[in-house]
Amino acid sequence: MTNNSANQFCRRTRREFLWESGAGFGALGLTGLFANNSALANESVEAPKTITKFTNPMAPKKPMFPAKAKAVIFLFMYGGPSQVDTFDEKPELAKLDGKTIEVKTFGRGGHKNQGRVVGPKFAFKNYGKCGKRVSDLFPNVGSCVDDIAFLHSMYAESPIHGSGLLMMNSGRLLSGSPCLGSWVTYGLGSENENLPGFVVMLDNSGGPINGPKNWSSGYMPAAYQGVQLRADKTPIHDLALPEGTTREQQRTLLDRLKEKNEEHLASRADNSELMARIASYELAFKMQQHAPEAVDFSKETEETKALYGIGEKQTDDFGRKCLLARRLVERGVRFIQVYSGGNHNDHNWDAHGDLVKNHSLHAGNTDKPIAGLLKDLKRKGLLEDTIVIWSGEFGRQPTAEYAQGTGRDHNAYGFTSWCAGGGIKGGISVGKTDELGNFAVEDRFHVKNLHATVLQQMGLDPNKLSYFYGGLDQKLVGVEGAEPIKQLI
Amino acid sequence: MRSHFPRWFAAAVLVAGVMYVNDVRTVREAVAQEKPKFTAEQVAFFEKDVLPVLKQHCFKCHGDEPKIKGGLNLTNRQAILDGGDTGPAVKLDKPAESLFLRAIHYKEDEHRMPPKSKLPEKELAILDKWVKDGLPVSADRIGEAVKVVPKGGVVTEEAKKYWAYQPVKQSPVPTVKEQGWVKTPVDGFILAKLEAKNLKPVKAADKVALARRAYYDLIGLPPTPEELDAFVSDNNPNAWEKLIDRLLASPHYGEKWGRHWLDVVRYGETNGYERDGPKPFAWRYRDYVIQSFNSDKPYTQFVKEQLAGDEMPGHNPDAIVATGYYRLGIWDDEPADREQALFDGYDDLVSTTAQGFLGMTPNCARCHDHKVDPIPQTDYYKFVAFFRDIRPYSDNRDVRSASNMSDISPPDQRVKYEADLRKRDARIAEIRKAMTAIEDEIIKTLPAEDQRASEGNDRPAVISKKVVPALKGKPKDEYTELRKERAELERKPTPPGQQLALSVNNCDPRPPATHLLIRGIPSAKGKEVQAGFPAVLGLPDPKIPAAKPGAKSSGRRTVLADWIASKDNPFTARVFVNRVWQYHFGRGIVPTTNDFGKLGEQPTHPELLDWLAADFMAGDWKLKRLHKLIMMSNVYQLSAQADAENLKVDPSNALLWRFNMRRLTGEEVRDSILSVSGSLNLKQFGPSTYPKIPKEVLAGQSVPGQGWPTSPPEEANRRSVYAHVKRALRVPILVGFDQPDPDSSCPVRYVTTVPTQSLGLLNGEFANEQAVAFAKRLQKESPDLAVQITRAIRLTTGRVPLAEEVKKDVAFVAAIKEKHKLDDFAALTQFALLCLNANEFVYLD
Repeated sequence: MTNNSANQFCRRTRREFLWESGAGFGALGLTGLFANNSALANESVEAPKTITKFTNPMAPKKPMFPAKAKAVIFLFMYGGPSQVDTFDEKPELAKLDGKTIEVKTFGRGGHKNQGRVVGPKFAFKNYGKCGKRVSDLFPNVGSCVDDIAFLHSMYAESPIHGSGLLMMNSGRLLSGSPCLGSWVTYGLGSENENLPGFVVMLDNSGGPINGPKNWSSGYMPAAYQGVQLRADKTPIHDLALPEGTTREQQRTLLDRLKEKNEEHLASRADNSELMARIASYELAFKMQQHAPEAVDFSKETEETKALYGIGEKQTDDFGRKCLLARRLVERGVRFIQVYSGGNHNDHNWDAHGDLVKNHSLHAGNTDKPIAGLLKDLKRKGLLEDTIVIWSGEFGRQPTAEYAQGTGRDHNAYGFTSWCAGGGIKGGISVGKTDELGNFAVEDRFHVKNLHATVLQQMGLDPNKLSYFYGGLDQKLVGVEGAEPIKQLI
Repeated sequence: MRSHFPRWFAAAVLVAGVMYVNDVRTVREAVAQEKPKFTAEQVAFFEKDVLPVLKQHCFKCHGDEPKIKGGLNLTNRQAILDGGDTGPAVKLDKPAESLFLRAIHYKEDEHRMPPKSKLPEKELAILDKWVKDGLPVSADRIGEAVKVVPKGGVVTEEAKKYWAYQPVKQSPVPTVKEQGWVKTPVDGFILAKLEAKNLKPVKAADKVALARRAYYDLIGLPPTPEELDAFVSDNNPNAWEKLIDRLLASPHYGEKWGRHWLDVVRYGETNGYERDGPKPFAWRYRDYVIQSFNSDKPYTQFVKEQLAGDEMPGHNPDAIVATGYYRLGIWDDEPADREQALFDGYDDLVSTTAQGFLGMTPNCARCHDHKVDPIPQTDYYKFVAFFRDIRPYSDNRDVRSASNMSDISPPDQRVKYEADLRKRDARIAEIRKAMTAIEDEIIKTLPAEDQRASEGNDRPAVISKKVVPALKGKPKDEYTELRKERAELERKPTPPGQQLALSVNNCDPRPPATHLLIRGIPSAKGKEVQAGFPAVLGLPDPKIPAAKPGAKSSGRRTVLADWIASKDNPFTARVFVNRVWQYHFGRGIVPTTNDFGKLGEQPTHPELLDWLAADFMAGDWKLKRLHKLIMMSNVYQLSAQADAENLKVDPSNALLWRFNMRRLTGEEVRDSILSVSGSLNLKQFGPSTYPKIPKEVLAGQSVPGQGWPTSPPEEANRRSVYAHVKRALRVPILVGFDQPDPDSSCPVRYVTTVPTQSLGLLNGEFANEQAVAFAKRLQKESPDLAVQITRAIRLTTGRVPLAEEVKKDVAFVAAIKEKHKLDDFAALTQFALLCLNANEFVYLD
């Protein structure tokens, strides 16, 4: 196939092409996906022009190459946890506590050239075989360090929540692009059609800033947006039967609906969209049965629940979400995002005022559940093909924001994220910030490198997974591309 | 191009080795020059000490690979002196100032090399010495001075021949074998292609299908059974024409076709990002669009008003409202990088305008020449220059600003209040400043939590609880006095009759120079460019008269608008008629309606496209005439039924041997449900409504419910085009049925089928409430179940059901009633819900 005909063929907007053959989205999604799946940049796979059977956009798809991981759990520490108080120990910073020094920072309060140092507020201890030093905020996570790869040299392009969240979720500061979960499910679908492929669990205090934009599919079809899931009886919006309706009653209705739809289809048999819609009602019916089962913890042992901190006042909520995340992974859900922190101010990790109070609260809520999740995944053999990511949208500054107090402003120049499982090396720390913990200086990694690493482990080439929109082959890692973090894999 | 990278060093870090292709369309010409000479000692130093460092840390990105990062090649001396995108890497006269040294010493935030970590001190010292020594190199690394010569951009004679750049040419309607089938010229063009492939058009659609098709296509609402009966029983040969005329004259026509336009112009009523603040009076733009379609405004006028309405003479409120076009996109009120945000804003305007009006994608040329189309990077910045007088949405976080709001009240009313208003506003601003200054003095002394709180929405609480009690002495007296005066001033109501509009305003009559930005980076200014048209058309740059004293804009946009709204423009009419065709047939003649370039799809019927474009222009760019021409054609009236033989040859129906079935849009699904249940409120225009959003969905917001003051049912039940478009909170049923994301232009909507749609229509609050209303309506209209069922089927499908079908449905209602112990009404409600879920309700033949 010549370059030109490849262009004619594949480089088209999915949005512009769904009319073709009435095939629904599935078949076309696949062609877009593999348009660049070749060492020869313009070689392509012929799109099916003939009428195809209904394909659920979330139907499982083969990775581009053998995958190390099958699922992702992204623990999003919304608000921006402080690196120097958690995983990135800075003894020099401790010595400078209280001193005003020359240091370039950029946060919500703008660019500054000096500031009063707030020394790390928590003691650090050695953990694990690797001897990783972790602060007293995360003693339980500390016990898992041999499975974790710490990235101390992360940086992002914005120290502002709105655009920072969009960057961590979608790789861009500008609103309107699909997020990581959308790309992963676009690339791979999901293994359980009775559950959504991409789910988001929010903090009890509310969603993050930007709300649903953080799990939006942007210019991709809405089928790839995240579905909000709750760890209660009606985990998904519209899943519960309307009051007074029984499941048997709905079945009666669906049976007649199916009959009528089939009569309608009889003289329109070539239209696969109609078939798809008939199938979607059966799928919806099954989903109503399976989703509540996924959130039903009655078959979990007390020991397991305790491992996650379920039943303890402080950790119950996040613990339930972490346990649910594991159950979803077991059931083949592809991408799960769990938010720690919601709403505004101290309801999340955004410690502008009293850092000790803020971080003690949020670390206290999450430390045990996160460690429980890692241990539980590991003993069930799930950790080896599940990537767990821990990150905020950015980190925090080494200096105080105000004349008094321990609060720190945002910092996108350098921060810590960590990953575990899914073929990621454990017990390692990669990259460095400067001695103040302010600026990533060694082995610097952009948010896109983290995204690229996730796609790579999932068997998707980050520089080839593309979606044609607005005249461009759009990629999660941008047109410039990004390399996976080699030290991790 | 939407993607960007504010710092070139960052881009370099990421690259996997092959991503960014440096501009391939330049040739480097050797320039004769005297060669420098170095001592043997210097050369030895280079080879032994310098070269290993460069090889280890630099050459991978700067020389060894064919893709050279930032255009900087470090493998030979001359290339280093020539430098890359950001200028010479080494200045021999001032070595210490060399970018190369500053970069390796991490002296500039934006230029840190190597990006992964700083070189060890020893190696830094070697490179310092090397540069200070005058860059001694071995003979093989002296290199040749080169001059970069553009290869005539990318606009070649060959490229100019592409069909979309040719003037519109109206060819004669082809003659066909079945001349009798041809009712309009459209039929001639379609049938000619069908006959060439031995395809036969299927039979005409039945009258019920046809009427439903016309109602939904033109007004987006279902016909009532009575309207259908009137049409079906009208055997007059002009019944169809009368129906089209009536629908085109309906006030609801603009609600349907206006919504199409809103997709193209990324219509949103909030700004997105953290605050997702409202765009005040954005709804006036929506009303303007609806009214423009209803009044059959010539498309040229529609274009000119949106692009340059503020530059039109006289008091013309509509034209001012139309410039709200520029203000509909996303806007970050707290950008990480203001300069970058400024150009992201222009990018939104270039992308939307070029794709929307011209079917071009120059946005791909923001960072480099378009890869396929003959659009050099200069074209992009020439386009930007047209918009350069538009100031940012707002200079601070305020959603209203002097550059985005206009007073559109009649001038005689304005004079009455304007001077007063100005004085009052100025005084209030003065007072605010003075009060804030006093408050800040106190705030500085408060604990960090209070300081933090004072910066956000909690400031008033901090002021009243902490600041006011702490005031003493003179500041206290001053503060009290100021507060009193402000309260009095603010108590005065808005002047009666004052009308504000979202728009452009106070544009820059003498805009700053527009530069080509190297790789799209705002700080990397290249040559200056002037406003101008795509180079491939070979037009001279327009002469734009200097703005007159007192002008509130540069006049550039009028020049752009006049060029777009011109018969000589090869894109405008083609792009618009193609959209219209797409909205009627589900697919454009050029299927990629925002991209007529080579990355788009090619037209299936190029002659028809040109014929329609020419006819459209000849008909004074009036749309209703075009609708009628298309709809009066036989091809529009074809049945949607398949034909086995045709399917084999043309399975996707590209040649239109039948009509394409289509699913209703999100708006049509919601409006139709409201319509059949009898709840639809057809009130038009005005501020947007807020249909109820379930609390589970609101829970996704950082402050659930914020920015969504749910309307009372009557108001909420207005047509979906009047529902508030909040970027970070979308109405579930609309977005569930593929209403597009409003952050960028949507040329064609997706049609997806997913189980969550079914869950929404089966279990959702809206569907169930409407099923109840529907059942009430049925009960009210007749006490008899069979009549109720017949009526429900007619309302939801238009069709008169067969007796057999009614019998089965009666049995269903009886069964569900008995089996699940429902009363008559509950059982009927279940049937009503079933009707709203049926494929026949949401799909049109």
